[in-house]
Amino acid sequence: MDGGFAVAASWYDGGNALRHEGTARWDGREGFVLDSGTSRIEVPLAELRFSETRGATRIYHRAGEDGFRLILPRDVPAGLAGRLPASGEYGAWIDRLGLGRAGAIFAVVSAAAVALFVTAPDWLGPRIPESWERRIGEAMVGDLGGRLCHTPAGDAALDKLLAKVDPGQTRVRAGVANIGLINAVALPGGQVLLFDGIVRQAQSPEELAGVLGHEVGHVRERHVMTALLRQFGLSVLLAGANSGIGDTAAGIASMGYSREAEREADAFARARMATSRISPAATADFFERMAGESGESESDSALIGWLASHPAALERARAFRAAGKKGAAYLPVLNASEFAALKSMCADDPEVETFDLF
Amino acid sequence: MHSNVDDKAGESAFAFEGTWREFAPIAFTNLLLTIVTLGIYRFWATARERRYLWSRSRFVDENLEWAGTGKELFLGFVMVMLLFLLPYFALTFVAQALIARGQEALGLALVSGALLLIFYLGGVARFRALRYRLSRTHWRGIRGGSDDQGLAFGVTYMWKTVVGMLPAGLLIPWSMTSLWNERWSKMSFGPFAFASNADPGEVFARFLLFYLAPFILFGIGIVAAVSGAATGFTGQPSDTGATTMVIGVIGAIAFFYLGLGLIAVAFYAKFYRVAIGALRWRNLEFSFNASTMDWVRLLLVDVMLVVFTLGIGAIFLSYRHWKFFITHLEAHGEILLDELTQSTTTIAAHGEGLLDAFDVGAF
Repeated sequence: MDGGFAVAASWYDGGNALRHEGTARWDGREGFVLDSGTSRIEVPLAELRFSETRGATRIYHRAGEDGFRLILPRDVPAGLAGRLPASGEYGAWIDRLGLGRAGAIFAVVSAAAVALFVTAPDWLGPRIPESWERRIGEAMVGDLGGRLCHTPAGDAALDKLLAKVDPGQTRVRAGVANIGLINAVALPGGQVLLFDGIVRQAQSPEELAGVLGHEVGHVRERHVMTALLRQFGLSVLLAGANSGIGDTAAGIASMGYSREAEREADAFARARMATSRISPAATADFFERMAGESGESESDSALIGWLASHPAALERARAFRAAGKKGAAYLPVLNASEFAALKSMCADDPEVETFDLF
Repeated sequence: MHSNVDDKAGESAFAFEGTWREFAPIAFTNLLLTIVTLGIYRFWATARERRYLWSRSRFVDENLEWAGTGKELFLGFVMVMLLFLLPYFALTFVAQALIARGQEALGLALVSGALLLIFYLGGVARFRALRYRLSRTHWRGIRGGSDDQGLAFGVTYMWKTVVGMLPAGLLIPWSMTSLWNERWSKMSFGPFAFASNADPGEVFARFLLFYLAPFILFGIGIVAAVSGAATGFTGQPSDTGATTMVIGVIGAIAFFYLGLGLIAVAFYAKFYRVAIGALRWRNLEFSFNASTMDWVRLLLVDVMLVVFTLGIGAIFLSYRHWKFFITHLEAHGEILLDELTQSTTTIAAHGEGLLDAFDVGAF
């Protein structure tokens, strides 16, 4: 019986469209002989590839022969069935594992990948060297040059203010941007901008120390890199919707940090202010003023920027208020003329350009 | 040996033999696997779907066969990502950085260069998608294809599309038919090339409906305004005035979306009848007999299927569209089976990645 047998078969040889009907004789070992009287082809079993099941037939291709099709009945004797290539349905991996098992494995791997991707900004961000972030910042934002306000006295005052709230060896770069909004941002690459609007409305230098300390906190706690990675991840997910990366530089300005990050930055600012013996009360005043403004129905729209990205102003005011110690000997952070120079910095700089990036 | 395509009187040369019950297990397992692989299985899902749809599509006395694989679709996608999307992202990044540094002109030039490239590749992609599908479609062991890479077609696509839109869009029927003709005349099945001579004049009247619509809308607007003003003059801003207004606004919106949508369907129905009707291959002539009402019914049921199943019904859309295509497709003429030899066109090693990236159909 092992000497082979014949089954009815039909085939196309791939050379032309003629259909051949005849028998496929199996020699019991490695090959078929297809014979229709007019056509006779020898096909090694090893060259057959399963294609599809159609009705009561199975269709096989032949490796390296474009268009060769062998159509065999679905039920062939067991001896032969074991030698024919196994039928596939979903694709090689899934066929081998089975649908259920493959589905479960894929689901676990996918869930792990998603978890890794979603949490990546939090654990990857702080591990990216600051020099890299600086270079990324250079590439994205570059030198803001003429759009920052400069006067000798104003620069000196800002430097003094920064020195009190930034402990780093390589100092964060700070600047006053010629924008009227009440806002401040931390840009990629360790660059912090106070907008002219927030400087002008300040009632004391201590309040600016709080705001600056907060933004420096975002840089030092690596929130900027984390947010940058999150933004980048989102743009990869939304790729195709628009040119995600292109928008990122402008998007950084409105980029939101998590509430936890905001609290961390506030805590950073308070710690630095305590070390430098700067009273936190003025910053608390500032938050209370902001909360008050937003409570009014017709508030200045310029305020919305700061408030939208920094929610719960009253809660933050309480935290700054609580940080103040009774009887502590606080030192003035800037003298009156330094503070005035800082406030009039943009008005006094004749060469400053208008800022349209944001 | 020959096969007469008109053999059986009244019966179409193309027939669809599938059932949605057979298709359902394929569609549902595809959905499941696509979800658990975060979409990566999509390529293999497409191949499985097509293998089924092609195998249940009979032409004369033998079924079609889809010989494409998920792997090659996947490779096509990866290729597009590496060769195109990454450079594109890099380019927009550089352009953004340039603009931020005040080099607006250079940045904008880069951005427009990138957009121009997308436009060009869109044309190439349309060509190659058709070529890919023909090269993976077998009938009696014979396949189709094209020896053309589609690079020149990309250029024609650009200028004809632009010229078509220039005179207030009036030459769009011309650009559509001439691009259709050019694309198909570079395709072949077996040893014989397709030919197409679709005439833009035949679809032009339908196209003019688009221009008529705003005038009708304008007319309705005048009538509504006049009647609204008339009620206003009586001195009492009555309810009827407001009602007329509301009805007018709702009617205008409904007209805009439904009316223009309907015109678009009517135009495309006519376009495909003309375009496929102009298609020839050796001694075969093709026709496509779906009327505007057939299309409307297809689309309405599509919408209901998706809405009433909360979106899951979408997995049956490809089945419905393919079935619609095959059942309305007809062919007349004669095929000599022994002169129908194997195509000598080269087979691309990758799938329609470019087209996937741009999300446009092959036809």
